[in-house]
This record gives sequence, C-alpha cells and structure tokens, in this order.
Amino acid sequence: MAIRVNPKFIDVLGRFGAEDVQLCYQCGDCSTVCTRADELYRFPRKSMHLLQMGLEQKIETTLEPWLCYYCGQCSEQCPREADPGETMMSLRRWLISRYDFTGIARQFFRSRTTEVLAVIIIGILTGLFLLFYGFSGGNINVYDGAGAFLPSTFIHKFDLTIGAVLAFFLIINAIHMWYLVMVKGTQFEVPWWIYFKQFYQFPWHFFTQKRYSECEKKQQHSIYMPWLLHLGLMLGYVIMLVLVMVFIENLQAGPEIQWQVHIFGYLATIGLVAGTIYFIRSRLTKKYIQYKKSHGTDWMFIVLLFIIVVTGIAQHIFHRTGLLGPANITYVIHLMAVVPWLLRMPFSKWAHLVYRPLAMYLSSVRREAFARQEVVSELYPVFIK
Amino acid sequence: MRTGIFFCQKDKNTGLNFEAIAKYSANLPEVETVQILRFGQLPELKILTEQIKVNNLERIVLAGDMPGYFKPVFTKAMALTGGNTNEVRLASFQEHGARGENAMDRAKAIVACATLGVPFALAAIPGGNPVNHSTLIIGAGIAGIQSALEIANAGKQVFLLEQTGTIGGHMAMFDKTFPTLDCAACILTPKMVSVGQHDMIRLLTRSKVVSVSGKPGAYHVKIKQSPRYVDIKSCVACNQCVEVCPVKVESEFDAGISMRKAIYIPFPQAVPNAYLVDGENCTYVLSDGKKCGACVKKCPKECINLNETDHYLDIEVGNIILAIGYELMDVGKIEQYGYGVFPNVLTSLEFERVTNASGTTGGRIVTKTKRLNKKTGKEEWFFSPEGIPPRSVALIHCVGSRNKKYNPYCSRVCCMYSLKFAHLIKEKVPNVTVYEFYIDMRAFGKGYEEFAERIKQEGTYIIRGHSASVEMNHDQMVVRGEDIFNDKLVEFRVDMVVLAVGLIPSGSAEELSRMLGVQRDSDGWFSELDYNGSPTDTDKGGIYVAGMCQAPKDIPDTVAQASAVAAGVLGSISSGKGIGHLSSLSLSEIEARAKLIHTI
Repeated sequence: MAIRVNPKFIDVLGRFGAEDVQLCYQCGDCSTVCTRADELYRFPRKSMHLLQMGLEQKIETTLEPWLCYYCGQCSEQCPREADPGETMMSLRRWLISRYDFTGIARQFFRSRTTEVLAVIIIGILTGLFLLFYGFSGGNINVYDGAGAFLPSTFIHKFDLTIGAVLAFFLIINAIHMWYLVMVKGTQFEVPWWIYFKQFYQFPWHFFTQKRYSECEKKQQHSIYMPWLLHLGLMLGYVIMLVLVMVFIENLQAGPEIQWQVHIFGYLATIGLVAGTIYFIRSRLTKKYIQYKKSHGTDWMFIVLLFIIVVTGIAQHIFHRTGLLGPANITYVIHLMAVVPWLLRMPFSKWAHLVYRPLAMYLSSVRREAFARQEVVSELYPVFIK
Repeated sequence: MRTGIFFCQKDKNTGLNFEAIAKYSANLPEVETVQILRFGQLPELKILTEQIKVNNLERIVLAGDMPGYFKPVFTKAMALTGGNTNEVRLASFQEHGARGENAMDRAKAIVACATLGVPFALAAIPGGNPVNHSTLIIGAGIAGIQSALEIANAGKQVFLLEQTGTIGGHMAMFDKTFPTLDCAACILTPKMVSVGQHDMIRLLTRSKVVSVSGKPGAYHVKIKQSPRYVDIKSCVACNQCVEVCPVKVESEFDAGISMRKAIYIPFPQAVPNAYLVDGENCTYVLSDGKKCGACVKKCPKECINLNETDHYLDIEVGNIILAIGYELMDVGKIEQYGYGVFPNVLTSLEFERVTNASGTTGGRIVTKTKRLNKKTGKEEWFFSPEGIPPRSVALIHCVGSRNKKYNPYCSRVCCMYSLKFAHLIKEKVPNVTVYEFYIDMRAFGKGYEEFAERIKQEGTYIIRGHSASVEMNHDQMVVRGEDIFNDKLVEFRVDMVVLAVGLIPSGSAEELSRMLGVQRDSDGWFSELDYNGSPTDTDKGGIYVAGMCQAPKDIPDTVAQASAVAAGVLGSISSGKGIGHLSSLSLSEIEARAKLIHTI
C-alpha cells in the first residue's frame, strides 16, 4: 500500500504546539534516555523521524504518543533543543483531532478564539436555559424538592442527556482509534482472544496510571509527584462524574448530610483542588520543562476545571449554611461552566482519559500478538559475564 | 561643504567616549554643527529639518556604532529641505573596527574621513612600515614548531614562546595519527629536536606574554619567564632529584592518569631536555625556603636553584603568530556519561595516553585497578601495566560537540580519532568487542573514508545512534543507545567507555585576544580575516593565526596552515612592509591622507 507524503505536515503540527521538529538531527539521545521506550515502541526519535518525512498516514496509526507521559527528560537532553517531549504532546493533540470525526477538535486546537467563543456561547445558552427553567416553575429560595429552583430530578435528567451525548462521541472516536491502530496500523495478525486476555489492562491503567508512576522523573518532586496529583485529579473527576450522573438526588438533598455519598464528594474535591492548583501553579512558574510551553487548550482545560471546582465548593457551603438564594445562583454559574466543559470533552485534551488507557490496552494486545511472530535473530553478540 | 555631524546611538556605548570624539570633530574644516543625540530614540523629523535649515547644511554625517539605523530619518529631512540625499554619510565605528587599544583614535579618523567625504578604507590603506625581521610565535605545539622551522630555515630570527616546560603540545601525547596510523612521535620529535638545536630559534619555555604594543612591523612585546629552577645547560637528566622529591601531583603530559613529582621532566624526549620544578607544588618554593630542599642537596651537578624568581624580557618583533591550540571541555558537567563517577569512563586524551607505548601502562590497553590509599584510607582507581584488559569498549562520539547546550560546532577530529581508537583496541586487545556510537560519520579528508571503511571491516560494531547514558549495574557498566539503522534499542555491557570530548579554545585565548586586539568568534576561537581568502591573517596587521586556535582542525590542516603563515611572515619580511591592514596607520596619518585625497 502506497503511503502519501504530506510535506507540510510539520507546519500543520506547528499549530498544535510542535515548533522545532525540523531541528532534529536523529541522534537518538531522546530514545536512549526515555524510560518508557522499549523494543516494540521506540520513541520519541522515531516519531520525530516520521514527522520530518511527513508520513501523516503512518503517524495516525501509531500508539507511541500515548505511551509518553512527558517527563521532559528527552527535551532536557536534546542536543539540538528540538524539544521531542513537546512534539509528543503536540502529536497527542493532533491524534485527538484525528480520532474525532466531526472536525470540531481540529478547530479547537488550531484556533483559541473559536474555542473560547464556543465555550462562552454554550455557557451563556446553558445559563439562560436554566434561569428560564428556574423562574418558570421554581422559587429561588428553595434548593431541592417541590417548587425548587433547580430540582435534582430535573438536573438528573439534564445530566444524563449530556452524558449520552458525551458517550456517543467518545465511543465513536474510540472505535475510530481502534480502527486506525489495530486495522490500518498493525501489519501482523492479532488473534481475537488476545483482546479478552489483555482486557484487564484497560481498568488497571485507567485507575492506577501505573506507567506514569514508573517515569523516572517523578523522583525529582519529593511530595508533589505529578503522578500522584494527576491520579488524584483524575480519580476526583471520575468520582464526581459518577456522583453527579447517578447520585445527584442524594447529593443535592438537604439539609442533613448523607455521608454515604458525601464522603466520596469530599475526597473527590480534595483531589480536584490539589490537582488544579498544582497544575496551574506549575504552568505559571514554568519550573519544570514539561510545563514550560502551554498550548491554549491546556489553559482552557485547567482554568475551566478550577472555576467548576470553586463554584461547586461555594455552592455546597451556601447550601449547608442555609443561604439558599446564593446557593442557587452559584449552582447556575457552576452549571454554566460544567456544561461546556463536558460537551468539550471528546474534542479536547480531556479525551485522553479514555484514549490513554485504551492505548495501553491496545499496546499490550499488539505486544502479545507481536511476540507470537517469528523471533528476529540477534544481530549483536550479547556479552555474558 | 557645510557639514553637520550627528552622533546617534541605539544603546549606551561603553567603549567610546562620544564627547571627546565630538569635540575633536568640531575642529574639522567646514563643520557647522556637532550634536550628540539622545540614546536609543529616532530624532524628530521636524527638529531635524529645522536644524538643517538654520545651519544651511549641505552634508550630514551620522556617527555611531550602527548609524545606518538612523539614516532614513536624516535622508527624509535632507530631501524635505531640498538637499542632496547622497550627502548623508555614515561614520560607522563598528564597521570600520573602532575597538581595542586605539579605538578612540580610530573613531576620530572614521568621523574625519566621513566629514571630508572620503571613504575610510581609501584613506586608511597603509603605506608600509619597515618590518622588524624577527618573529614571535606564541605556542609551541605542532603548528608553532612548523612555523618556527619554516621561518628559521629561511634565515630569520624566531622567538618561540611556550607556557609549559617543553615544546610539543598535544601532538606529543598522541600515539598514532589517523588515517595512516603513523607514529606521532616519529613525526614530531625530529622537528622538536631541530627546533631545540636551531641557531635562529630562541626557545622561551615557561613564558607568557605580558603586554604588546606597537604597530605592524614593529611590535614591542614584554614577556614574563617563570623560573625553571634548574639550569638547562648543566643538567644531565640523571633523575636523582626525582627520587628524593616527596611531592606527587597528577602529570599534565599523561592527561592526569599518572603521577609525577614536583621536580620532573615532562617526557623523555622533551625539548629542552632538562628537568624543571613545578613552583606551584614544590614544598620549598611554597614555604619560601623553610622546608624540604632535598633535591638541591642531592643534585651532583649543583644545577638546581630553588631561589630563582620570575624575570622579564623585552623583545622587538615584526610579526606575531598565534598558535596557542586548544583544550578539552570539562566533560564532568555532562552528567549522564558518569565521567569522574565511574572509574573506567575516559576522555579521549586520557585514552590516548593509555594506548601510548610511552604512557603509564606501557601501551597496554587495560582497565583501572583498585588500590587502598594509605594516607587517606580511601580506595582509589589507577592505571597499572598489570591491569585487566577490557573485554568490550564503547566509544561515544560528539560528547559536548554539536550540542546547543555546550559547543554548537563540530570538533572535526573526533570521528577520526575514535575510529583510530577502535583500530588500536582491536589490534592490542585479543577478543575485544568495540562499539562505536556515532551521529554522523565525518570522514572528510584524504584517505579518511577509506579508513572508516577499513575499521568497519575489522569488525567494530559501528552504530548509527548516539548514546546518552552510561550506567553502572552490579559493577558492570551498561551503555544504552538506539541503533537507528537496525531499528532497535540496544544495551551493551562494557568495561571501558571512551568519550570523544569536544574541543574548546585554550584558556589563555581571551587574555591574548584582549592584549593583541585580535577578534574572537562567538565560540571563542580567533577570527581570521576572511575564511576563504586569507585564513591565516587576523584583522590586525602583522598578527597571524595557525592551527587549532583558529578553529578545530586535524594535524595535516594544522601543519598546512602553519606553513602558510610562515610564507605570509616571510613575505612581509622580504617586501620590507608590514602587511597592510586597516589599523596600521595613526590618526594624524589617516587625517593627512584623507585631506590629500579630498583636495584631489
């Protein structure tokens, strides 16, 4: 099968954040220092090479970008200052836009204005809709139950609708990813049963992010390991998502606290607060190499999440202290941030929540299938002591 | 022609005193107004046109480091007042080289020429000075030796200056030369001996240039000669002093892999072939004569005088040749290779001494041996002839070279000497495996590509891909790398790692460039006048560069350049003129010439 070369691919990727790819002279230092590169998946040099050659059709089938956690060692080491770490990051952004069949992600990544406008418009529409709904039937001083401004039964339905939209896009995109990687990008045969055998990898990597914890760079941060904070942020987010999607009626009911759901709510909040503050701080101070360059979407991602967390906490405090009017107003503001945030998810960085564990799973499947192939003969004498 | 001189500058200039230049230029003929404009700002068009009208100016001279930046405004103003826009002239201090010791005079001359409407280059071409027939060569490596021999053989006096106790430089430390695998000492030592015995060469070892004054053709150089403490003429090199000397320090000649005493001879073939005392480490010298002095008592010829002091020497020379060579960069700061942490990670120069038959291991390629230092109670690693030969060696190219963090340039010799090392290891150690990690193989010279092919056929594993990590795993060094051509990650266990360390300019280059007024490029190498046209001249007349101090180059190129320099020097001597460069005339001379041209 012939592969089309896109000579302008480097320029395309420049919009996604990779600016210095052409500086690379292929020395392989980056692959050498990378603790995550192995025999089957050698990166970042190989990805840089494919990029320099403009092999767009080959890159879209690779899993390498998802196997990199951007510890920044390669960028620190690079003799040409070609920033391979940032290139891998940009490739992930590009892959998200590639998996997305609607083309919205592409627009968001390429133009900050489009993204900001889209978020603001959806936020305002949500706010208007909620205010209209609230004032048409409810009382601003009632939080839940009959005659409430935003009753939890309504919010539950509202959430589930948005969740369905979200799931629709994510599942289709994930299938697209599977097609690109496993059908187009895998030359060898993959028996069907390996998919079942390796399936445990998906939840395992989803909930532990074990590969991230193995990045050597984490040792530089003693307590604030980015892995731990990243995991806290992710788990907090997932717990909150489940609480909001399923247990919203218990969560919103008052006045007494239902500890069965609230204990999770508080835990999730701790993870979210710590994570957002740490990542905002890192991106502002630029102390570590992986936070030195921030793409517009990175800021949108972390700032919007921070607003959601702050308004969520404020709303909870108002509700518990009996200030129901302010509680309802912050609720509206909270939802004005949540809805664009959720709708943006399949088209933004946050989609790596799904793609990354999926990539781990698919990489394990490919690895096992590859090992069943013929063993390549050793080219070097192996020195045994 | 009624002239207005405007001094304009983008940022605060530190080197030149603008006020003094302005005062001088006010006395030039037909100057109506001299103004120093505010730093950094474009002058307003309105004010300028007013000034031109009030003073009825016909010519405007813009003086400054980069006055071209301001030219458009002045041209516009000139056009608005109906003047000739071609008469807006630039007096660019930077372009015409107003820097160094004569910067002020130079700047004044530049302004004067622009005011008179004479191109500076035209007025400043020198008529020629009588040339002193003796030549000073700074640095006695292979470049200095070659130049000295060429000039001295033509019957002209040469002063050969060397900072250390012997001539020979880095080449004396080498074992073989690439690509012919000739013995380096066999090429160098005969030359060294002829230098030592030549009537026309005056050898000044342990010497440094203190100051230089004068102009091309007649430089006055002050030289400081550190004491040798041993009388060269009466010393017979009996070695008895070394036996009693209690001080031990690392040997410079052995690149630090062996120890020498405070009284020593750098190497057996040293020229001048006599002992010397290292004043910085000698107990007697350091304690001002209160302690030790064992060698003085032991010496049967009574030729050691530890009370000797520095003495200064004034010489007059016509030409100066810079051949100060290079240094290895400090590879300890590139941490991932573990130099200084793992015992058997060597720099190229250290390995050169290991493989050299006159080195501490007698030419056997061995790994370091451990021993207990009784004084400090610590274990230390050292080379001994009885060491164990390595079973596998990794050679890593481009360590610090072609790297934006350290040296952006290619050091040019590393590929070839690493290939040479591969050959020497294969030749001297049976059943050894040699891995060579390279990025690009730069085998550019005559016979080099064939040499690289030959090494490949000898069975060295040549891996395209740079290794960036040397780790210790259970007392076994492991080198990781990516084999790009075979498309796999590789990990080799090795007993020895040789780093092809990047080359940097010699430490004294900065001081010398300031003293002589010779420019250096951004990497610190001396700048030649023109890379293609005159690669041996500097922008200062009568001062030349030869060898590594201009840019990294291999021995054949160094020798060729040294001979070319000798030709230039001899040319200037036999023509009787200092080689014409811009800076050779004084202010009054340039002014007089400019006026002469102006009247014509």
